[in-house]
Amino acid sequence: MLTNEKVILVIGLVSSFLLAINLAVYNTIEFSWLICFIIISCFCLLFFRLNAQKNKKPKVSLIDENESDREILQTFTQVEKAIGQQTSIIEKEISRTKVIVKDAVEGISNSFKYLQQLNLEQQGMINIVINQAHATDEDDETILETFVDDSGKTLEKFVEVIINTSKQSLETMSYTDEMVSQFDGIFKLLEQVESLSSQTNLLALNAAIEAARAGDAGRGFAVVANEVRALSVNSTELNNDIRSKIAGAQITIKKLRDSVELMASADMTSTLQAKERVSVMMQHVQKMNQESHRVVEDLAGLSPKISEAVGLAVRSLQFEDLTYQSLDSLAFNFINLHQLADEISSFNIASHEELPEQLKQLQESCNTIIEKTKSVDDRRSVSQSSMDEGDIDLF
Amino acid sequence: MTLKKHVSDNKITIVIQDRFDFSIHQHFRDAYCDCNESGSEIIIDLSQTTYMDSSALGMILLLKDHVDKISGKMKIFKPNEAVNKILEIAQFHRLMTIEK
Repeated sequence: MLTNEKVILVIGLVSSFLLAINLAVYNTIEFSWLICFIIISCFCLLFFRLNAQKNKKPKVSLIDENESDREILQTFTQVEKAIGQQTSIIEKEISRTKVIVKDAVEGISNSFKYLQQLNLEQQGMINIVINQAHATDEDDETILETFVDDSGKTLEKFVEVIINTSKQSLETMSYTDEMVSQFDGIFKLLEQVESLSSQTNLLALNAAIEAARAGDAGRGFAVVANEVRALSVNSTELNNDIRSKIAGAQITIKKLRDSVELMASADMTSTLQAKERVSVMMQHVQKMNQESHRVVEDLAGLSPKISEAVGLAVRSLQFEDLTYQSLDSLAFNFINLHQLADEISSFNIASHEELPEQLKQLQESCNTIIEKTKSVDDRRSVSQSSMDEGDIDLF
Repeated sequence: MTLKKHVSDNKITIVIQDRFDFSIHQHFRDAYCDCNESGSEIIIDLSQTTYMDSSALGMILLLKDHVDKISGKMKIFKPNEAVNKILEIAQFHRLMTIEK
C-alpha cells in the first residue's frame, strides 16, 4: 500500500473520530454532515485508489511475461535454425548420395554389360575352337596327331626299305659270289686252253723239225708247221688277254662287293632313336590333345556360368531403385520436418488472443503430417514387399 | 670267327657272337644253304650278340625265304634288349618266333 492511500486512510479515520466526538460532545448536525461527507469521500477515494492499484498490478507482471516470451521466441527461432540447418544438410547429403549411387550403379552396370559382351565374344571363340576340334576329329584326329602318326608310318616304311635293301644287297652278294666262282671255273678252263696251245706249239715245233729232216719233200709241211706254231702263240697271247680282262673284272667285283656291303650295312641305332622319339612324341601329342580338349570343354562350360553371374549382378543392381525409394522417403520426411520447423518459427507468442488458434493450427498440421507420413509409409512398405515377392517375375 | 654252327638231327643252331653284321654274311649263308630237308628247324641264337645292323636283318630275311622254300621252321633265340628293339622296329615279331 502506498503512502497516498495511508494519508487518505488516516484522514478518513481522523474524520470518523471527529464525527464521533462531535456527535457525543457537541451533538451538532451541521459539522456532522461535513465530516460524514469527508469520511465517505475519503473511503471512496481509498476504494478507487485500491481498485486502481489492483488494476495496476497485472501491468507490472505483464512486463515480466513479455520478457520470457521473447526468451521462448528466441529459443524457438534457435531450434528452428538448428532443425533447418540439420535438414538442409541432410537434404543435400541425400541428393549427393543419389548422385553417387546413380553414378556408381551406372558405372558398374556398364562394366557388367561390357563383361557380358566380352564373355559372349569369348564364348564365340571357344565355340570356334570346339568346332575346329570336332571338324578335325571327323578328319581322323587333329593335324598334329595325323602328322606324328604319318611320321611313325614313314619311319616304319623307311625301316622296311632299309631291310629290303639289305636283303636285296645280300642276294646280289650271293649272285656275285656265284659269279666269282664261275670266274674261277673260267680260269681253270683257260689254263686248259693254255696247256692245249703250249702242246700245240710243241707239236708244231716237232713237226717243223721232222719237216726239216725230210728235206725238200718236207718243205711244204714245214710252212704248215710254222703256221700252226704261230697260231698257238697267238692263242696263248689271247689267253693272257682274257686272263687280264677277267682279273680286271675281279677287281671290279671286289669294288662291287664293298659298295654292296655299304649298302647292306645300315646302322639301326639312329633309326631306333628316331622311332623312340616318334612314339614318345605321339604319346605327348595324344596327352596334349586330350588335355586341350578337356580344357576347352571346361572353358565352354565356364562361359554360361560367367554369363549367369553377370546377369545376376546386373539384376542385383536394381537395388538402385529401392535405394532411390528410401532416399525419396527420407526427403519427404525432411520436407515434413521443414514444414514443422516453419510452423514453429511462425508461432506468434506475443498475441495472446491468437494463441489457442495457433496451437490448434499447429496440432492440426502435426496430425496432417502424421497421417500423410503414415499413408506414404504404408504404401511404400506394400510396394516393397510386393517387389520382394515379385522377384521371379521381375528378374 | 664269330659264328658257330651246331647240328643235331634236322635242327641247326647258329650261334652269333658279338657283332652280327655284313662281315659274316658268307658264313651265315653257308651255315644253312646246304640244308634242303623239309621240316628242318633253324635256330638263330642271339644270346651272345651285342650288335646288329640292317644287313643282319637282311640275312635273317634271306634265311626266312630259304626256310619257307623248304617248308621248315625257324626261330630267334634270346636276343638281348638292344637287339630285340631292332627286331621290333623291323617288326620281325610278326614274321617269326622270337623266344625271349
